[in-house]
Amino acid sequence: MSATVVVRPTAAEIDPVRTARRRRRLERALAVLTPLVVLVAWEVAARTGAIPVRFFPAPTMIVSTAGDMVRSGVLLDDLAATLRRVVIGFVAGSAAGAAAGLALGLSGLVRAAFDPFLSALYTVPKLALLPLLLLIFGLGETPLVLLVALAVFFPTWITCMAGVTAIPEGYREAARAFGASRWDMFRHVLWPAFLPQLFVALRLSVGVAILVIVGAEFVQGNSGVGFRIWHSWSLFQARPMYVGICVIALLGLLCTTLVTALGRRLLPWAQPTDRR
Amino acid sequence: MTTPGATLSPTTDPAAAGAAAIEVRGVGKRYGTRDAVVALDGVDLTVRRGEFVCLVGPSGCGKSTLLRMMAGLHRPSEGEVLVHHEGTRRTPTAMVFQDYGIFPWKSVRANVRFGLDVAGASRAEATRTVDSWLARLGLADFADAYPATLSGGMRQRVSIARALAVEPEVLLLDEPFAALDAQLRTVLQEELLTLWQSDRRTVVFVTHSLEEAILLGDRVVVMSARPGRILADLPVPLDRPRSAETRGEPAFAALEQQLWTLLRDEVSRTFDGRSAT
Repeated sequence: MSATVVVRPTAAEIDPVRTARRRRRLERALAVLTPLVVLVAWEVAARTGAIPVRFFPAPTMIVSTAGDMVRSGVLLDDLAATLRRVVIGFVAGSAAGAAAGLALGLSGLVRAAFDPFLSALYTVPKLALLPLLLLIFGLGETPLVLLVALAVFFPTWITCMAGVTAIPEGYREAARAFGASRWDMFRHVLWPAFLPQLFVALRLSVGVAILVIVGAEFVQGNSGVGFRIWHSWSLFQARPMYVGICVIALLGLLCTTLVTALGRRLLPWAQPTDRR
Repeated sequence: MTTPGATLSPTTDPAAAGAAAIEVRGVGKRYGTRDAVVALDGVDLTVRRGEFVCLVGPSGCGKSTLLRMMAGLHRPSEGEVLVHHEGTRRTPTAMVFQDYGIFPWKSVRANVRFGLDVAGASRAEATRTVDSWLARLGLADFADAYPATLSGGMRQRVSIARALAVEPEVLLLDEPFAALDAQLRTVLQEELLTLWQSDRRTVVFVTHSLEEAILLGDRVVVMSARPGRILADLPVPLDRPRSAETRGEPAFAALEQQLWTLLRDEVSRTFDGRSAT
């Protein structure tokens, strides 16, 4: 008995453009569909009493509570307070972290002086510093913003330092071969080679910033999304709590997307080339 | 830069044909402190103005190290390397690297412009020079592309254009075509040949390929396995201008055979992993 293996083009080979388009459409649909299915299942379960609404209010209930909170102005005030702390702390912390990362990455002597010291501080959970900051600066905005800045500083510093030390010697050599001065070297080689790492660091630390501010707002102050979540718990109200959690999740998504988009915009050369 | 007792006096008219452009005197290089590896040992070499010299030798023989010394990127452990130049430019040399040479964060145009930017050339002058070199190397259509989107051959063209754009008195090439496939390598060899024959400047070219060395060079300098020494310094008895057909001449094959005889023992010595003396 003989057999023949036949290898023929399938739709993917005959019309690759259309296949790719269809595939992309499917991926996009799935990305929307998955959360939608979860939400609908949740809604149905809550409405039919399969899960207790006291703890798990249906999505439509959360939305309507969110609507009430927006109308009363509470939600926007909270969001503004949190956003302000995050933005100021993030900008200050990442600027300091990037500067420290560059300095330690570029100079062996600076690295020798500060690396062990900073590495020791790195492992301290930043939330553990909040009581100390409260002690020093009192109640108010300063300790919260400072805490965010501290939490952002360390991952930024480490990632940036690693980025600078990983710049291949070949690039520096090429610049030196053309007589580049120290400033030329920085401007043409070190800074552009360092930028992609900076954006990796920013993407990481923007998440850290939101994480930390919510934790800090739990225990300190009387405004902010974190405060709202904690406060709702003390009133045994699940719905505003869920609103707060959703707002934080969306805020995180928005911030990460913004940083990624900015990086893509500023660093066209560092993007994957297989985009079509 | 002159030293008493020099056999060739660099103070004579530097523009005169036959004047030394590069002098390597008793250069040695050791790496490490204890059980030092001797990369170069007692190397003497003179490259005359306008001459195309090819350095060949087994891997690790220190030919790239020697080239880097000429570019001022490495310093010898002993001896000296003199690069005689008119002193009108920041660096008399320009270098083409095998890889990592061009910057992925700069467009083709910005890469070619780099040496001029560093040298502080005026904007208008730099733009004019860059455009002319982009055109000469067939890069004009890719001027705004980033290196990641280019093929290996195009990237090496960018690297060559960048080096030539600064109009260096000495052009140094470190195995520039080693990472390319055989066909592309042949094309680029011929392009370099044409470029050099229309605009002769001093060139030192490091390569593994004997064939490449003979096709391009006025002289082929053969180096020994580590520690690198100069084994032979042979003139290439082929007329210029040369072209792809030059490979077919009897003298070509004869020289290739002669060089291979010299090198064979050296290559097998490094292959066996035994260190010399």
